[in-house]
Amino acid sequence: MSNWVTRRRTLLAVAAGSIVAAGAGLAAALGRFFIPDVLYESDRRFSVGRTDQFPKGTGTLLAERRLFVFHAEDGFYVVSAVCTHLGCNVVHEEKKGFACPCHGSLFGEDGVVVRGPAPSPLPRFAVTLSRQGELVVDSRRRVGVDYRLRV
Amino acid sequence: MDDSGFLRRIVGSVVRVGWPRTRRTRLSAMLSSLLLHVQPSRVTVRSLRFGTTLGLGLVSFFLFVILTLTGLALMLYYVPHPDAAYRSMRDLEHAVTFGMLMRNAHRWAAHGMVVTVFLHLCRVFFTGAYKAPREFNWVVGVSLLLLTLALSFTGYLLPWDQLAFWAITVGTAIVAYVPFVGDDIRFLLLGGHDIGGAALLRFYVLHCLILPLAMVGLVALHFWRVRKDGGLAAPGHGRNRRVPAWPHLLFRELVLFMVVVAIINGAALLFDAPLEGPADPTRTPNPARAPWYFLGLQELVHYGALLGGVVVPSLLVLALMLLPYVDHQPAGIGVWFARERRFANSVFAVVVLAVVYFTVVGTFFRGPNWAWVWPWVR
Repeated sequence: MSNWVTRRRTLLAVAAGSIVAAGAGLAAALGRFFIPDVLYESDRRFSVGRTDQFPKGTGTLLAERRLFVFHAEDGFYVVSAVCTHLGCNVVHEEKKGFACPCHGSLFGEDGVVVRGPAPSPLPRFAVTLSRQGELVVDSRRRVGVDYRLRV
Repeated sequence: MDDSGFLRRIVGSVVRVGWPRTRRTRLSAMLSSLLLHVQPSRVTVRSLRFGTTLGLGLVSFFLFVILTLTGLALMLYYVPHPDAAYRSMRDLEHAVTFGMLMRNAHRWAAHGMVVTVFLHLCRVFFTGAYKAPREFNWVVGVSLLLLTLALSFTGYLLPWDQLAFWAITVGTAIVAYVPFVGDDIRFLLLGGHDIGGAALLRFYVLHCLILPLAMVGLVALHFWRVRKDGGLAAPGHGRNRRVPAWPHLLFRELVLFMVVVAIINGAALLFDAPLEGPADPTRTPNPARAPWYFLGLQELVHYGALLGGVVVPSLLVLALMLLPYVDHQPAGIGVWFARERRFANSVFAVVVLAVVYFTVVGTFFRGPNWAWVWPWVR
């Protein structure tokens, strides 16, 4: 054993180790380069319009934003229109729920998977009221089924 | 001044040996040329027979050459920006002489290469050609298959039509199923959350530069290892008479190349590459399909996302990579469907049939809502 651990081998291991460590550090630092810091895409937090654009008892599809704004008896809530299976746009059918045309996933009115390959419910996003009286959706903030914005 | 002497000096400075007529000059012609010396100067009669390899590796390489040339040509007109990409596709179709032909040739050669690389893998398996000393070259080959798929996939987005946009939506959604890091990989691949300008640019650079360079490097390694590992796999017994590669091998390669060019040209003349309406993130086609070679994967994902999209394909690739180190008995090398390898060949055949089955079902038997549809009803 002591024969194996020679000064030469130890020095070699230290040298090789420092080269690997330096390389790994450089790779990690340069790897960060490939993750963009500025995104030229639509804001994740955005206004969808004034509250009176969404009459009580309706659900409105905002195709550009790929989400639904619902105005229920007890307030507003926002459901994503992006199927959790493979990212297709779901279609809302009154009283039936949300249907994905791509692979037949069906979600209930509450966004929970009823059948099909979708692995998780349609996400719901936080919605707040701006000072100008506009609904502001924050698609980075997921909320539960009970979430409502009361106006 | 002596004209013929002047000309001979120029030609002689480029090609050291004249037109090879004797056995000796034929051998040295192969050795003294950069392009030719990649190949052996003498080859066995057996390896020249078409049935030995079916020429699948060479055809894959020829298709890659065609793809490089047509791809470089297309780059002169293609603009990788969401506002311009689709318009440049329309230009290629209507405003560029032979633009459609060039695009068609690129498209069909790309599809063809996915097929021939896969068939080449099957050939190498069924002839037991991955066994020692060729284990590592098999691993390189599997990497080349993955690279071929990646090249094809990144190219799929570039037309920026509905077909491209939703195929990449589905494809990158499958990526997101990787546990823990799936969303991050998708973000890195797209350069953002959505398929937009950043994603198009990334796919463009990957498709036109990074992946082709990796391909060239790995193909060079693949060819070099073929030579270093002793040429084509062959059974140890029997006579292996050798003949000069010039002209026996070169002539066959030339003929094969001409056939490949003719087929791609014919396909490009007869069948137009599809181009649907411009990419529209608000309108999902029903059904949205991945590129055809990933439809087997999409079919699996239909049953279970994590299992079908991540676990099964990862295990498959891992099994392929480890195969030559696990199945290392030196039996049945270089023989089609060797009796000694009946078990291994049967297992592999089942896997190949499964891949083909899921791909065919995903391509021809799935209609709106991914419901089962008979192809003749559609």
